[in-house]
Amino acid sequence: MADDRAAKILAAIGGPDNIIEIEPCITRLRCELEDGSKVDEAALKAIGAHGVIRAGSVVQIIVGPEADTIASDIEDLL
Amino acid sequence: MTTRVLSPVKGVLAPITEVPDPVFAEAMVGPGVAVHPELTAGDAVSPVDGTIVTLHPHAFVVATAEGAAVLVHLGIDTVKLQGEGFTLHVAKGDAVRAGQPVIGWDPAAVQEGGKSPICPVVALDATAESLVDVREFGPVEAGDALFTWQR
Repeated sequence: MADDRAAKILAAIGGPDNIIEIEPCITRLRCELEDGSKVDEAALKAIGAHGVIRAGSVVQIIVGPEADTIASDIEDLL
Repeated sequence: MTTRVLSPVKGVLAPITEVPDPVFAEAMVGPGVAVHPELTAGDAVSPVDGTIVTLHPHAFVVATAEGAAVLVHLGIDTVKLQGEGFTLHVAKGDAVRAGQPVIGWDPAAVQEGGKSPICPVVALDATAESLVDVREFGPVEAGDALFTWQR
């Protein structure tokens, strides 16, 4: 994944206004969103996500072991 | 280069498909195996010689000098326990030896809390074919070899 992945992931989950909470867990970002339907799964896969698990407004993006770093990069953008 | 990966806990070795979480069961971050831990309090040990590159109360990643990174996750959805019941014996960035205690925990308490205590052991970003000599599923001691990772 490229260095601008945090910004791209943020865009693919609907931007800052759609984020309620993002929590990293070793290999994944658990995102609690205002509107889960705004998630662009194809874009996330294109950025390099291994998988996307959706359950309503909670979306888990499987990004690999750099989840902690990516989550803090996204926090910086909020 | 090959890396021998040891069991972090005592219990019963099982296919990773038994883990009730698609990220592990479908090998989204890499192939591996899982251990149903014995339900007594104890330490999870490092599966390889290396450096602790990621450390949470409920999970850790050890990377070898050659860059093979092994993930050990203590139970499923245990991030929600927010560290309660887990004791860290090392810090992020520490060098560890295979078999060295990393995290103290109580699988019985995890199970009583309604979560699966199963422990996935994952070769991060490995291909399925790169795991060889996988141990026969069944009883396993902490420190027993689980598989060999060829890279």
